[in-house]
Amino acid sequence: MSAVTTEGAWDELTLSPEAYKRASARYRRRVSSKGYLFLLPYFVPFLAFLVVPVFWSLWLSFNQGGLLDSAKFVGFQNWREIAQDSQLTTSIENTAKYVVTAIFMVFVLAFLLALLLNRYRRGGNFFKLALYTPLLAPLVLVGLIWQFIANYDFGLLNLILTTIGLGRVNIFGNGTYALLLIVCAEVWRGLGFWTLYFLASLQNIPDELLDAARVDGAKGIQRFRRVTIPLLKPMLLFAVVLAIIANFQVFDTVYVLTQGGPVQSTSTMVWFIWERLFQFQQTGQGYAAAVILLGIILFLTAFSFWFLGSGERRRERKTQA
Amino acid sequence: MAVDSAQLGIPEDTSPHADYARAARRRRSVELTKGTVAYVVLILFAVIAIGPFLYLLSPSFRHSYDLLTFPPQWLPKSLYWGNFGAVLHQTSYLRWGLNTFIFATSVTLITLAIDTLAGYAFARMHFPGRKVLFAIVISCLMIPTAAILAPLYIIVSSIPGWTHAGVNTYPGMVLPMVCSPLGVFMMRQFMLTLPEGLVEAARLDGAGEFQIFRKIVLPLMKPAIVVLGIFTFMFQWTNFLWPLAITTTDSMKTLTVGVASLQGQFVTNYGWLSAAAVMTMIPIIIVFLIFQKWFVQASMAGALKQ
Repeated sequence: MSAVTTEGAWDELTLSPEAYKRASARYRRRVSSKGYLFLLPYFVPFLAFLVVPVFWSLWLSFNQGGLLDSAKFVGFQNWREIAQDSQLTTSIENTAKYVVTAIFMVFVLAFLLALLLNRYRRGGNFFKLALYTPLLAPLVLVGLIWQFIANYDFGLLNLILTTIGLGRVNIFGNGTYALLLIVCAEVWRGLGFWTLYFLASLQNIPDELLDAARVDGAKGIQRFRRVTIPLLKPMLLFAVVLAIIANFQVFDTVYVLTQGGPVQSTSTMVWFIWERLFQFQQTGQGYAAAVILLGIILFLTAFSFWFLGSGERRRERKTQA
Repeated sequence: MAVDSAQLGIPEDTSPHADYARAARRRRSVELTKGTVAYVVLILFAVIAIGPFLYLLSPSFRHSYDLLTFPPQWLPKSLYWGNFGAVLHQTSYLRWGLNTFIFATSVTLITLAIDTLAGYAFARMHFPGRKVLFAIVISCLMIPTAAILAPLYIIVSSIPGWTHAGVNTYPGMVLPMVCSPLGVFMMRQFMLTLPEGLVEAARLDGAGEFQIFRKIVLPLMKPAIVVLGIFTFMFQWTNFLWPLAITTTDSMKTLTVGVASLQGQFVTNYGWLSAAAVMTMIPIIIVFLIFQKWFVQASMAGALKQ
């Protein structure tokens, strides 16, 4: 009885091949037009304020002016100019020095702290909160806070130095110290973040692996070198790329602390662009430098995607094997 | 019996308990030393993290000429509250705070609205070109504002009808900041974790796409939306480069730009500067202590997005 009614209903539902094709095409069209509708509110600003500016940036590097007046096409003049500009080379060098020192310092310290917090859990919450606090400050305020640490007259550092009977240091007068100051500001701010990041990754390591190593007689350092490090390697490398991309854009602290000085020793990529665009009115050179920055960042992004992809491919091969 | 234990390397000790106790004591004392060193290191770094904030209080309670004495002083001799009053009344500090609030809130709300829509489309709808469009969005993930600063400035200052008015307006500040691909990526990844059958079942029941989105997907997305919201807000209220470029009048500055502008080209009133910094930090630290869990999660979301 019920079988008959079902069959009858089934007959009604069955469409001829052509009708089925038409119906499914209609269904797909309906869904697809809705899809574009959902994307539209995001894609309008995305195209206007991200995609178009990227190509415009390329075009502008062959122009001069344009911020306050109309742009003038000058061909390769900007590129010739910045190719001979020693400040650009200095800026790229400074940025590289800054990135390498800052990442090295912050990663070593954060990894150490993460290991300690992973081993000694008591009071862990307090330390995590304390280390995280600097991250709340905008980079501008981080710069100001370090101004109050490094200031010649009333800075905390010079206060400590005079209290223990040493002479004061004029950090802002020495190029190496000034760059190191900006590195310290970044390390201070980033330490909590990277500690929590590494701590999370350490706690992701399955206990069974470490226990198995322990049963096999591996000592603490051996376990660390042979189990922990290899397991964390992909995460570490990815973190390095992320940190390079983020730190390459250092600007706020430079603006507040040193304004690129003394004598360009803290002039970084973004500072160079800013100075040429909005302070020196040498817009053409700023445009060209912006394209260089864009190239560097896109290269790093592509590398990190390739790296992530290769990790996934490796995993797939392993599961197939 | 004796032979066996010798072969196994077990010492035939007459007082095994004494030896065992000594070894345990030694081990305990090693552990204790290690633990002490560990906690000393942790406390040292906690002090380094918090100390500078506390030191900031000292100059904020002093006259700025008081700061230049030699030898320098750790603490103010008497509490001078004038810096705070001066920052509130003689600068546009409150206006900057309002601007920051309007700027960050608008960017956050618009971002949440358009990113959840786009994330849903990328995760759960089928249409030609979906993969290509998503790849385009993702390839823009890391593009720095600094690299497109000039075109952004030109676009905003030349939007028809505004004739150079995009500079120093809220829409001019807000709109270029709402299109970060990170939010779309986060929303899509989170929606992919929701069971697909949920959406399919609603579709078969004849629900429209927007209905599914609003009634089924959005309620399930709450945790992800809160995280993205805090992340976006934190990112924008600390934003510096774009507000610095697009604001030229004092009354349109945000807090970061305004406080930085208190640092003069030649003369800086460090008393005011530290007072402004203290006033900016205190509310955010209070908010943080209340919502700490969400904060940490939000800042991790940015990095753990793989």
